[in-house]
Amino acid sequence: MIEQMMKTKLFAWIDRRTGAEAIIKSQLTEYPAPKNLNYMWNFGSLALLMLVLQIVTGIFLVMYYKPSAEATFGGFTVAFDSVERIMRDINFGWLIRYMHAVGASMFFFVVYLHMGRGMYYGSFKEPRELLWIIGVVILLIMQGAAFFGYLLPWGQMSFWGATVITNLFGAIPVLGDFITQLLVGGFAIGDPTLNRFFSLHYLFPLLLVAIVGGHVHALHVVHSNNPEGIDLHKPEEMIPFHPYYTIKDAFGVAFFLTIYAYIVFFNPQFAGYFIEVDNYVPANNLSTPAHIAPVWYLTPWYTILRSFESKLIGVLAMGGSLAILFVLPFLCKSAVRSARFRPVYKIMVIMFFVDVIILGYCGHSAPTPVLKIVGQISTAYYFLFFVALPFLPKFEKTKPVPEGI
Amino acid sequence: MNKTNTWMAMIAVAVMGFSTSAMANSGGAHLEKAQIDVTSQEQLRRGLTVFTDVCMGCHSAKYITYSGLMLYPELGLSREAVDELRGEKSLMSGMISDLTPADAIESYGKAPPDLSLIVPGRRGGADYVYSLLTGFEHDPHNKIPDGNYNRVYPGHRIAMPDPLSWLDHDPSETEELEQQANDVAAFLAFIGDPHQNERRAIGCWVVAFLILLTLVLWRLKVEVWKDVKH
Ligand code: HEC
Ligand code: HEM
Repeated sequence: MIEQMMKTKLFAWIDRRTGAEAIIKSQLTEYPAPKNLNYMWNFGSLALLMLVLQIVTGIFLVMYYKPSAEATFGGFTVAFDSVERIMRDINFGWLIRYMHAVGASMFFFVVYLHMGRGMYYGSFKEPRELLWIIGVVILLIMQGAAFFGYLLPWGQMSFWGATVITNLFGAIPVLGDFITQLLVGGFAIGDPTLNRFFSLHYLFPLLLVAIVGGHVHALHVVHSNNPEGIDLHKPEEMIPFHPYYTIKDAFGVAFFLTIYAYIVFFNPQFAGYFIEVDNYVPANNLSTPAHIAPVWYLTPWYTILRSFESKLIGVLAMGGSLAILFVLPFLCKSAVRSARFRPVYKIMVIMFFVDVIILGYCGHSAPTPVLKIVGQISTAYYFLFFVALPFLPKFEKTKPVPEGI
Repeated sequence: MNKTNTWMAMIAVAVMGFSTSAMANSGGAHLEKAQIDVTSQEQLRRGLTVFTDVCMGCHSAKYITYSGLMLYPELGLSREAVDELRGEKSLMSGMISDLTPADAIESYGKAPPDLSLIVPGRRGGADYVYSLLTGFEHDPHNKIPDGNYNRVYPGHRIAMPDPLSWLDHDPSETEELEQQANDVAAFLAFIGDPHQNERRAIGCWVVAFLILLTLVLWRLKVEVWKDVKH
């Protein structure tokens, strides 16, 4: 199909003025990809899909959403009413809103697996350090975007989640109160907060588009890693991206969309994981919910925060747990990339994945003394994992790495 | 392929871990299961009657307009029936109780919450509403006065006076009262998300189409890849 299209007169006209043919060839039809990529390599294209879907559904939501915390009858607000209007009165508004709210969770699910893949197969190592670092920037901006977005419906969790998180910045010495007030637009979460969060919620995903562009560009310079984690040189080890990976990605997209559609149409709240029960209750600054927890994709970091008695140390640990991802390529010194040939790293990294899930569980549940200790141990392992990495090559006996595939 | 299976297993364990914790999380008192069918016009109309006759003495459902009662096919009331219900109120008005929040606070000490979103907004949903209405009992510790003690309400002391007169009702009425509680729970479950039936109906087609598309693309992928050795 693409070949056919490139033979037309119209294409020739465009090509002379843009160099489109060279771009399509180098980036798609002749872009070489390893032939042994497994299905874990599908999550990049899925992340891109989710970004596009979030932006498209978001733009439609903005047409009806009203960012105002002005009170309306019955303890509601203009913002809450506008979301309910989308759900009830706008044609297919419910579909757009559920796609967006469920989409946020699916987006994180996909991106976390995408990152886990990178850690397992050592995709962050030389020469892909910058690719990984750009990815961590993407994660941080996504988390910011989701946090800002969650305030918009102005439910109880929107309000109290934002209160808890913005208060954290107050723990920073000297500048803390200033930063909090800047973020909140006053002394407590209110109308000014809603307006600036709305503005930032629109901005951040658009920033993401630019940064994702950089991510893909960096990828196309250094090329994909592969499950064996070895450099490939021979032409017979490579296949062109199109049609092989376009069809494989299309299959992945269809499979993923099936699950996504199932959740959107049949279980959009997902037992309170994707849209929290308390967020159907309008925000009320006089009544604190029994248990405040962020949405699941932020709970691992929330546990790290809560694991320390001192708020300042908690905040530093939470920031550190994300920041340490930036330096992962420089901590992990082994010349072998893939966990397939690194027996000790393999156990450590799988334990790390389990650890993050436990952290997420602890952060989601109402605090108990047992969970607190479990959370603290998991926090310790989270950091231990990174700290141990530089010492690993000293005693880890790696398995022989294959010459080719 | 083996390696992919390992990943699949890991993902499955993670998802299962989260969903079991969701069930463990409902917490609180044991809830009775509500017998509701949000596609049944009969039950929803009976529930609407309980709502307008009893609950609307105190509660509103401001996101449901009187015209909505005609337009949602699940309710499909006639214009005459709606006119009778709304009295002086406009067709576009929400179902607002005549009891003002200020008066309610004076009488009961608390403003009754709007019930438009009570089912999605409470853990246990319709089961909670049903159990709440049939949960008025004598306080086993004799601290909370009769009529204010509720088995499932958090803290047990509820400001709502037993609306269905469940406490000490005559055993011959049990069935009738349970029916009313079920019906109004069904109505509230429906108005919590009035497009839910349409959503599920469309969803069947969408998911069926996507499953088909997935199968076609899978075969196509296998076909395209068959000359790649690995
Ligand atoms: C006489 C006034 C009155 C009537 C009639 C009434 N309620 Fe209430 N209701 C209240 C008040 C007051 C509250 C607040 C109770 C509290 O939070 O302590 C309330 C609270 C509730 C709650 C929320 C409980 C919670 O978890 O916060 C539900 C659900 C409810 N009512 C359902 C109903 C239903 C269904 C009916 C009709 C069958 C009904 N009510 C009739 C006064 C009333
Ligand atoms: C990175 C991509 C994005 C993420 C992760 C994200 C996430 C979220 C989340 C979690 C909510 C709250 C959902 C709810 O419970 O209702 C939300 C709401 C909202 N978002 Fe986004 N969003 C993204 C992109 C966008 C974009 C690009 C726009 C606008 C162009 C947008 C507009 C809105 C609006 C208007 C709401 C309020 C309506 C509602 O609450 O449903 N979003 N977003």
